[in-house]
Amino acid sequence: MDLLLQYCINGLMLGMMYALVAVGFTLFFGVLDVIVFSHGDTVMIGSFAGLATYWWLHAFYPALALGWVALLVLMAAAVTVAFLGVIVADTMIVPLRKGPALNTLLATMMLGTVLRESIRLFFPDGSNPQTFPALLPGWSWSSGNLTLRFDNLVLFCGGVLIIFLIHMIINRTRLGMAIRAVAQDEEAARIMGVNYRFVVLATFALGSVVAAFAGVMNGLYYSEINFGVGLLLGAIGFSSAVIGGLGNIYGAILGGFIFALLQTLGAVAVPFASAYKDVFAFGAVIVLMAWRPTGLIAELSSQRV
Amino acid sequence: MNPLLACTGLSMRFGGLIALDNLDLEAREGEILGLVGPNGSGKTTLFNVLTGIYRPSAGTITFAGENIIGGTPQEIHRRGIARTFQRSRLCLDLSVFDNIMIGNHTALRLDFFYNLLHRRAFSRDYEMWRDRAAEMLQALNPSLVCRMFRPVGDLSMIDRRRVEICRALVSRPRLLLLDEPSAGMTHDETRQLMDEITASRMSGGSLTVILIEHEMEVIRRSTSRCVVLNFGRKLCEGDYAHVVADPQVQEAYLGKELE
Amino acid sequence: MNRVAVFFSGLPGCILPALLLLAWSSFFLTAEDQISVFLSLISLAACVIVAVRMRWGNVLRDSIAAHERLWDACLIAIMLALLVLFREDHYSLFLLGTIMAYATAVMGLNVQLGYAGVLNFSCASFFGVGGYTAAMLMAGTGLPPLLTLPLGGAIAALTGCVLLLPVLRTSGHYAALVTMAFALLFRVFLDVSEWFGGPQGIPVAPLTIAGLDFSRGISWGDTEFSFYLKYDLLLLLVLCLAYSLTRRLERSWIGLALDAVRSDEVASACFGINIQRWKITAFTLGNFLSGLAGALYAMMLAYISPANFTFADSLLFLSILLLGGIGNIQGVLVATVLVVIIPEKFQVIQEYRYLIYSALVLLMIVFRPVGLLPRKPRVYTGNPA
Repeated sequence: MDLLLQYCINGLMLGMMYALVAVGFTLFFGVLDVIVFSHGDTVMIGSFAGLATYWWLHAFYPALALGWVALLVLMAAAVTVAFLGVIVADTMIVPLRKGPALNTLLATMMLGTVLRESIRLFFPDGSNPQTFPALLPGWSWSSGNLTLRFDNLVLFCGGVLIIFLIHMIINRTRLGMAIRAVAQDEEAARIMGVNYRFVVLATFALGSVVAAFAGVMNGLYYSEINFGVGLLLGAIGFSSAVIGGLGNIYGAILGGFIFALLQTLGAVAVPFASAYKDVFAFGAVIVLMAWRPTGLIAELSSQRV
Repeated sequence: MNPLLACTGLSMRFGGLIALDNLDLEAREGEILGLVGPNGSGKTTLFNVLTGIYRPSAGTITFAGENIIGGTPQEIHRRGIARTFQRSRLCLDLSVFDNIMIGNHTALRLDFFYNLLHRRAFSRDYEMWRDRAAEMLQALNPSLVCRMFRPVGDLSMIDRRRVEICRALVSRPRLLLLDEPSAGMTHDETRQLMDEITASRMSGGSLTVILIEHEMEVIRRSTSRCVVLNFGRKLCEGDYAHVVADPQVQEAYLGKELE
Repeated sequence: MNRVAVFFSGLPGCILPALLLLAWSSFFLTAEDQISVFLSLISLAACVIVAVRMRWGNVLRDSIAAHERLWDACLIAIMLALLVLFREDHYSLFLLGTIMAYATAVMGLNVQLGYAGVLNFSCASFFGVGGYTAAMLMAGTGLPPLLTLPLGGAIAALTGCVLLLPVLRTSGHYAALVTMAFALLFRVFLDVSEWFGGPQGIPVAPLTIAGLDFSRGISWGDTEFSFYLKYDLLLLLVLCLAYSLTRRLERSWIGLALDAVRSDEVASACFGINIQRWKITAFTLGNFLSGLAGALYAMMLAYISPANFTFADSLLFLSILLLGGIGNIQGVLVATVLVVIIPEKFQVIQEYRYLIYSALVLLMIVFRPVGLLPRKPRVYTGNPA
């Protein structure tokens, strides 16, 4: 029983992380109809930016309280990644829209490799896994096999807060209204006076900030980061966004939790070979696509003849 | 005489939207039937239902005495219905000849042995079809013959329409559905194109045509009868003069006069 | 057209470039120090730029089109000449073999994506299925080794059938996800499966045909031929077959049907083209070619591990196709040579090669999305080899 509960808690943490990554995928798809596959590596860059900030703070302001450090690390990661997202969108993804969608997908995959390799080659000792500092108090509560960690609780609540903020931004602000307008009909939105370029860039900044949070969360949760994690995170985020139906933010969040559930199920159902959990999860995604070719919550689309 | 195509009580609903509403329609062997109506009145939907892209919500369609509802687009094409598209759906990166041969797909041999190993027989077939395509293009626009192996994307709008019509006619269909052949062309070009179609029909035996068209001038010159649709329903039916004089038709196009 | 152009539009237009190509590639492959590697690359680039500037490209293309059979023979002759030239050099022969195996696999991908438009982000996985099939069959059964090659292809095609349903039902990004998920799944599966040797991989027994052991060199007089030579010859044969198959396919009504399915499914359906049938044909045929190439490659490698068949390798195959020009098999040959050889010869950039390489492909997609040699409209006759 305790073990099962522990699985649930771990699954929820993973699900939150995946949901935050998937939100980015689905936001970008909404405004531009493209998949930005390098988003997983953006998450990875976020965690490395956070780590670099921590090192810098640790070297120059060793006396700073841990809470401030955590906040500054988060802010630095967010700003770095938002910049990266805006630059990538402006120089690469918007110009590529004229070509076939496959080209954007491939180009962003290549961009992902470039980001990954840059970290491996240019970050100090980047080719090895790096220890991520514990920025939150390590309080925990155990009973039998069950361990409830305080920092996990904080991270989870932070994730819920972020999701709530996205919800508010999309539904209650002028920017959100513009994003929804562009997602529905770019041409009409332009004609109605929406600053298209600004909306696209703002969406990328928003999605990237969420990715930065996911990156820092990833580091804190595993207390280790690795340059290669972006590929798998990207694939998982993409899968989650697709499961939930591309372009649908709530679908993407649901998709993230579903993917984590699949992984956990894989680990629980075949305990003798928990290494197969990813095989199980991706296999389930393939089956799901065969069953519902446009995701669980179908994308609204019609083909005009 | 039995009509070639007969629809009775045809309805097509998309969720709450009713695109076709209890429509009765007949096309007689050998006639050119005009299909007119304001935007969104269900003309293209009718074509999509006839060619099996959509399955109608209710009603019957009989083609040459047989029911064709539930058939795939492939089966319906095999029975002898060919069409063109409102927004030209040619394969722009393929050559003119390739596009015409796509229309001829059902007549081509497709087994691997023949295509990959029996190259000599393939070449003979190919030359036969090339001559046939050249003949058809010659009838529409002789200058297209020497551009037969250029990508369609290089052609002008009217030439693309011509290629599209060749593609639809090459399989010698019994019923041709033309969806706004004049879209994107000038008046003169449209008239020229329609004359060409009428001429090629004369030489081709008994071809029945249903023509969707906004240009009333084209309808007047080319069709023997027309049907007016509005909101998926048939407003009226008859020859050009009769239809134009109908007050309901004028209302549908111009709106109702305030009283 | 001036006299030079007339001269080159005839036979010399084929033979002269072929000779130049042979001279260049033999020099490039033997180049030891970085300076000569660099110089040879620069000279190649200069030749290409001059040729493009002087509009020799079209002349050359017409000449090749007019003497297709001769050009094919020239290419085969160049490859044979290189093999003879490097008969003792293991490393160069291995590189040539790799090029031929990759090119064959990309031919398969070309049938899928270039003709029928079926997305496949797991080409390397099917390549790997072929490789692992060869390894398991050679180790576990007494089947004649030569039979394992087509079996490798057949098993890859069968594995592809698992994906058929989702691949047929989805389109666009959703289809991309299905094959991507398969590529990741395959890699993880190999990593954790003890039966397939786990992350360390498994050895592959060498090929023997009619008592001829492919893992031994041949000595003839006082020259000792490298054992890679036999694999290279077999790979050359397989590549020629794959090339000829793909080209005949393109120049047939089947190729036309595949192209129609790619460019417009709705219009194709309205002209009686059975979309599912052609997608299945292309996907299965492509996987067969990838698996076949993979089986032979694994035998040449003698030891395979999951790291050979990652998602990154699938991306590599896809970029080769994109770089060469989607749908153009001549472009595939050129692109494979470039992608395989340049990082291997440039020791300086060895460490940075993935970075430079992916950045280059990225720039390529942004600035010249049609690839180096874009596909030309189909000709049906000509002299199919």
